[in-house]
Amino acid sequence: MPGFRTVLAVTGAALLVRRAVRRRMGHAPLWPMPALDTPISGRPRGRAQLLTVAGRTVVADGVVRLRLEPRAGAELPPWEPGAHLDLVLPSGAVRQYSLCGDPADRSAYTVATRLIEDGRGGSREVHEQLAEGTGIEVRGPRNRFPLVSSHAYVFVAGGIGITPILPMLRAAQAAGAEWRLVYAGRTRASMPFLDEVERIGGAGRVTVLAEDETGRPDPAALFDGIPPAAAVYCCGPEGLMDAVAAALPTGSTLHLERFTPAAATEGNAPFELELRRSRTTVTVAADETALTAVRRELPDIAYSCAQGFCGTCQQRVVAGEVEHRDELLTDEERRDSMLICVSRARGGKLTLDL
Amino acid sequence: MSNTQQAWSARVPEPLASERVELKARKVSFAWEETPLHWIPDDPFATHTINVLHLLLPAGERWFVHVYKQILPYIKDEQLRADVIGFIGQEAMHSQAHDEVLPHLREQGLDPTPYTAQVDWFFEKLLGDRTLPPGKARKWWLLERIALIAAIEHYTAFLGDWVLNAEELDRRGADPTMLDLLRWHGAEEVEHRSVAFELFMHLDGSYKRRVRTWGLAFTALVFLWQRGTRFFMENDPTLDDGRASFKEFFDRGRQGVLPTAGAMARSIPRYLARAYHPSQEGSTEQAVAYLASSPAALAAEAREKGAA
Repeated sequence: MPGFRTVLAVTGAALLVRRAVRRRMGHAPLWPMPALDTPISGRPRGRAQLLTVAGRTVVADGVVRLRLEPRAGAELPPWEPGAHLDLVLPSGAVRQYSLCGDPADRSAYTVATRLIEDGRGGSREVHEQLAEGTGIEVRGPRNRFPLVSSHAYVFVAGGIGITPILPMLRAAQAAGAEWRLVYAGRTRASMPFLDEVERIGGAGRVTVLAEDETGRPDPAALFDGIPPAAAVYCCGPEGLMDAVAAALPTGSTLHLERFTPAAATEGNAPFELELRRSRTTVTVAADETALTAVRRELPDIAYSCAQGFCGTCQQRVVAGEVEHRDELLTDEERRDSMLICVSRARGGKLTLDL
Repeated sequence: MSNTQQAWSARVPEPLASERVELKARKVSFAWEETPLHWIPDDPFATHTINVLHLLLPAGERWFVHVYKQILPYIKDEQLRADVIGFIGQEAMHSQAHDEVLPHLREQGLDPTPYTAQVDWFFEKLLGDRTLPPGKARKWWLLERIALIAAIEHYTAFLGDWVLNAEELDRRGADPTMLDLLRWHGAEEVEHRSVAFELFMHLDGSYKRRVRTWGLAFTALVFLWQRGTRFFMENDPTLDDGRASFKEFFDRGRQGVLPTAGAMARSIPRYLARAYHPSQEGSTEQAVAYLASSPAALAAEAREKGAA
């Protein structure tokens, strides 16, 4: 048995230590654990926000414009021209729509959608179910179609493809850049934001091509007399974008925004996937994912949801252009990585750090 | 699996086949605008004690995923491998979902960053991949972390089971979105409660390691949790003199808004029993039933169909 003195000494020492610790923590409550210099937690990639449809306007035949507002007094995250928003529709389906309002207006997001009769049903839901006052969950904004800084721009919009272009026009105008817009559509009545476009551009910058008046646009004429090394931005139907790509003058850079659904499974092209560290190349067939092809070579590769949301299969991309089809990665992460369970090569080849 | 222990102990972990379920990640999404700071009305202490989950889980579950990604090559059992793959996705979603609560707390004047930056350090640095020679040392550190995760998962399953049954939270009018987050998470923890333990038994199963890592995990949890509750109480902008005490913890346990100290104490010998298997506690049936009615899980299902 320890003697009375020993007990007294130990108790006394314990009390002193306790007092010292308390005093120390009084100054710095989170003493003594170190912290990570650049915190990781608390900066989620995306955040769901509950907005309200505050305005619903028909802006052209078959096109509605929605104004989505947060609860009173709240400010929305900022965005830049070209950005899009994920809308979680009442059925649970997620669809992406370009923001077409004013980036400086932090009190609302504006999107416009055309009703597609034989589409997958997303636009029908927007048109029929998103009445004024309806609550809607959104994620984003994100930007996979950013406006690069340039001395001259050529914008080519087809129909509803005007939506991401519209804020770009204002930005180009504000920056004092040389720009012009070719806006094609079936009829003038079906083309949204015509007045606004003409108001921003004034005379001379905007060419409106309505098929019922002038016939289909001649792609070769699109680039007549444009300044050299212009940045070309195009959003519209596949046919229009292919024509623009084919007619692109040398020296100009082309930026395309596709309407492709996030998880399109049809019309995939096969591509080569080089696994740099494994010193091998696999072929990804049109009807399989990059993950499936990689697993043949590296069976222990980590993955989980296989649908592009959990992020487990994220891999570093060393070379090649990626068509991102996930709903998770930030624009920053997309610069040098991809989710191999859903995303594919845009060209014919990708190189991964695997 | 180590057979040495089976040789001298007749009581070995026996899984209950009826508790097995196929695991898949759900793409849930929660919007936090409507959730008040004290989401259990008029009970900041219980609110913040549960809120500590949002401090620990983003970094903690990210770490689970990080460790489990490295263990895949060592798994020799196809069923277990499929379970681990499902587990990884569920944990990744848990981490993301809790992480999205943190900016909401910040907007309400309670910035969690000083605390979460320490939790980040804890999991990224202290428990991260250390510079070790390849081979034995590296494998040892991996197994040690696998065992730690098994011990922590004992507690996440315990808490998951608790929150699925915590009817007092409904009676108090707790925020429905927060309750759905906790119960969706809790239900998935109950669903996959056997995976971490089975993985540990498959790779190593040493009883000494089980006890040692339990001691570490338990100590760390108690330390971090009381510290987190104190942190929230002291920094809550609506409380003049916010304090946390163990007495309040015992009181809330009796009221049913937090787990009781007794139930927590009783769960210790269960994990340390040689015949322990996580399938012996909690109910997969209840978890699956909740997931079939959870607003977030249902929306995730609809989203999956909508995308197809």
